[in-house]
Amino acid sequence: MEQVDKGLMKKLVDGKISDNDVMEMRRMVKKDHKRFWTYLEVLQEGVSWDENILMRLNDHLYIVSKGNNERVVKCDCGHEYGDFRVNWKLNADLRVRETQEQMDEAYFPAIAAPEASWMEIREYFCPGCTAQLAVEIVPPGYPMIFEALPDLDRFYREYMSRPLNDESIEWFQNKTAEETAKLKMNI
Amino acid sequence: MKTVTEEGVFAEKTLKFKLNQRDKLYSETGHYWGVKELTLKEQDPIRYERFFSRLQSSVFAAREKARFVAASPGGREMGESLWALTTAEGDTLAISLGFISHAAAFPVSIKHMTDNDFEENPGINDGDVFGADDPMTSGAPHPGDTYTLVPIVIEGEVLAWACSVNHIMEAGAPQAGSWPVFTVDTFMDGFVFPPMKTGENLRQAKWWENLWMRRTRAGAMNVLDDKMRLAGCSMIHHSLHEIIKEYGVEYYRQACKEIIEESRRMILDNMRSTMVPGQYEGSCFRISMLKGQQKIWPHADKDELIHVHGVLSVDKKGSLVWDTEGSSRWGYHGFNGYPGGADVALHLQMTTTFAHNVKATGGVNMNVESIYHKGSIYNPDTEFASCANIWAQSMQMECVAGNAIHLSFFMRGYLEEAFAVDDAWEGIQGSGVLDDGTPYGFTNFEWVGGTAMGAYSFKDGMPTAWCSHTQLCNIGNSEEFEYLIPPTHHLGRKLEPGYCGHGKHRGGIGQTAVHWMKETGQRLGVTRGGVATSLTSYVSLGMNGGYPAPGVVTVTAKDTNLDEVFAAGGDTPTTAGELLEYAKEGKITGNVKGWKYDPPEQSMGEDDLWANAAGGSGGWGDPLERDIDAVVEDIRIGQVPEGFAKVMYGVVATKDENDLVILNEPETKAERERLYARRRSESIPAKQWWAEERKKIIEKNMRNELLVMYRKSVCFDGYNKHFKEFWQLDEDFEI
Ligand SMILES: [Zn+2]
Repeated sequence: MEQVDKGLMKKLVDGKISDNDVMEMRRMVKKDHKRFWTYLEVLQEGVSWDENILMRLNDHLYIVSKGNNERVVKCDCGHEYGDFRVNWKLNADLRVRETQEQMDEAYFPAIAAPEASWMEIREYFCPGCTAQLAVEIVPPGYPMIFEALPDLDRFYREYMSRPLNDESIEWFQNKTAEETAKLKMNI
Repeated sequence: MKTVTEEGVFAEKTLKFKLNQRDKLYSETGHYWGVKELTLKEQDPIRYERFFSRLQSSVFAAREKARFVAASPGGREMGESLWALTTAEGDTLAISLGFISHAAAFPVSIKHMTDNDFEENPGINDGDVFGADDPMTSGAPHPGDTYTLVPIVIEGEVLAWACSVNHIMEAGAPQAGSWPVFTVDTFMDGFVFPPMKTGENLRQAKWWENLWMRRTRAGAMNVLDDKMRLAGCSMIHHSLHEIIKEYGVEYYRQACKEIIEESRRMILDNMRSTMVPGQYEGSCFRISMLKGQQKIWPHADKDELIHVHGVLSVDKKGSLVWDTEGSSRWGYHGFNGYPGGADVALHLQMTTTFAHNVKATGGVNMNVESIYHKGSIYNPDTEFASCANIWAQSMQMECVAGNAIHLSFFMRGYLEEAFAVDDAWEGIQGSGVLDDGTPYGFTNFEWVGGTAMGAYSFKDGMPTAWCSHTQLCNIGNSEEFEYLIPPTHHLGRKLEPGYCGHGKHRGGIGQTAVHWMKETGQRLGVTRGGVATSLTSYVSLGMNGGYPAPGVVTVTAKDTNLDEVFAAGGDTPTTAGELLEYAKEGKITGNVKGWKYDPPEQSMGEDDLWANAAGGSGGWGDPLERDIDAVVEDIRIGQVPEGFAKVMYGVVATKDENDLVILNEPETKAERERLYARRRSESIPAKQWWAEERKKIIEKNMRNELLVMYRKSVCFDGYNKHFKEFWQLDEDFEI
């Protein structure tokens, strides 16, 4: 296999792909460079809204361009999380399992569950569709983990040779602390 | 101008010169040894590839033969060994199957010998034998990983090294086994030796054998392994002399540089063609529960939660930077390491991910910049830190990096390469004295060589089919372990139902063993070596809404009624989970205890049990999106219990006496709705949570061990900034 076509890509995204096709993909001598564009096409057709997907972040989340210098995280359900440079988890709903009873529900046998008071299980849900978007198992007081901050301009220009039209050095910056600074003002 | 040393060797041919020149040319040009053109490859590619295949076959042959000359079962049967050929500077040219990432350690040993003037004293001559296992000076992860290095020298010039490493069965520490748990500093790590000459003319000195016999508890096994490593190195040594005779020294020198440069370029290309540049954050935790285990050294008498923090980013060239800032300061426990050993862990991920389709050489090392901050658990600011078992957490660290890479693959559309990466290994170990007075030490490697593979975004993970640290995934042979470790017998050895990270696609189910102790002799003491215990998860992050892999579980049972159970027909527990259940139901009596941390050494007697569950892997995606039929199938094959399927997946089904599973569709629909409703009622906006959680920090409202953990991370400036900015803490706030 040299190139994954759109039909196959859709099967892969939808989880309907055969083991044999997956094996063929893994055996590609070199990964198909164009795959990214096919991926975006398949993903774009799978959502009901119109903004251009710039990058997939997660099973449900995308970085989309809203034109006028806005790049935001958006769920496939349509819910928006704001600027992608801020950890989207700050704009999700959060359930924390902190008692042993709550933690024991997430693992089997129960002895495999993390220990209460040492660790907590954080489950991030989409306020729009209630999908479980992320799980963190960390001690109380641990900062939220910012899983991915892609350098979009560099990726599009240098890796894919199709620069974005609103390039700026400002895009590759973690703005989470600016958001938490605002939260502190509101306390 | 050529200068001559006292020994009559051209200065240009010394290791000192070569190491300096290699580094200088690389930093000036960005190419290995400044090689910009692959001249030999372009002029005569067939000759070039033939030359390389000769090098490659020499190391493959060494591995395939040496293991049958002499070896412990860990070395022979499983992937617990490696042979390699390196340049004079220690950069890998060709590598066998097995522990490939140990290629990161060879240059550390060779640099140490060079910096310490080994060329003059004790001299480096053709066919000399050097050994090493000291983490600080040799790059070994821990003293259980033992190295043999044999130089290939022609006319006074070191041209190459034949190298080997294997995981030995017993390291000679106060606590027996190859990963002692209770250690305070390097002096409790066992038989630790910096690079040293142990033999000449491809023959070990007799004193060396005596040292193994006197300083470790499995002396005979360790000597067998020593012979195995040297036998393979001798074969490589012999082959290389023949190859050089055929191709000439000049060709050899130039071809080596081209091979590594070629591989460096191709690995870089693999990174650039699969990753999305950016920053990826991850972490993991590991408990060291030592409080109360000793009364002599109060500074080590404590429980510590080790924090490992890493940010993966992509540099200007497109190669990777792994910055571990925020990882805990080193401590008085055995889970520290030095940079060489940390790289051996990190490179497990890097080599298998990016060097699978190229010549796997030292070119990997040049594409990964690892940053281990001075004073941290990976770079202690003391020479005496214990490194008995860096693997207890470094295997998690490399998987944190692996998950970041796999998320990047997913973002770019290469879903077929993106799965949850886990490697929850475990090995029971110990020592004993047989009835006839014979003392022995042992390690059971069964869960060291195989774990489950994590879930992909489109399918479940597979059990026991994978291992991040070797391509030769293998859980070994039950009978062989029973034969070697006289008092332990398997009552059960299978998959532990439900034991994985769950999700839309669940991780591969982990495995479990129940060891039954019989004829325990005069004494038997057992501990475990292994990675994260279930007090924490294996890594912090699940993939895309799935749950991360669980930590390892231990269950011990002492003073049991097993003889009565056998007499009544023998309904004995076959998994760790079952053992706990049987105890709850009263079917097994005695002192049954489940451990979410490393148990202190347990003295085991007749009919005692030691059970464990390990190797479970992580899930991918929201569990409520899991296909209902897949859950029903899991129930049918006994891999997910009915009760848990309802709680985790909202699937209501019952299994009848013929193992037929009947799905209750309306109840399932209603149960899933209930679980969604619970999510809504039990969650709050994360911003509101932020304000509440922040209070816990400011009021220091948490266990003292956690405050200590944060202190041992915020003492690094970059992490302090990260922590204070996220919680918006005042400059002068001290946790
Ligand atoms: Zn949503």
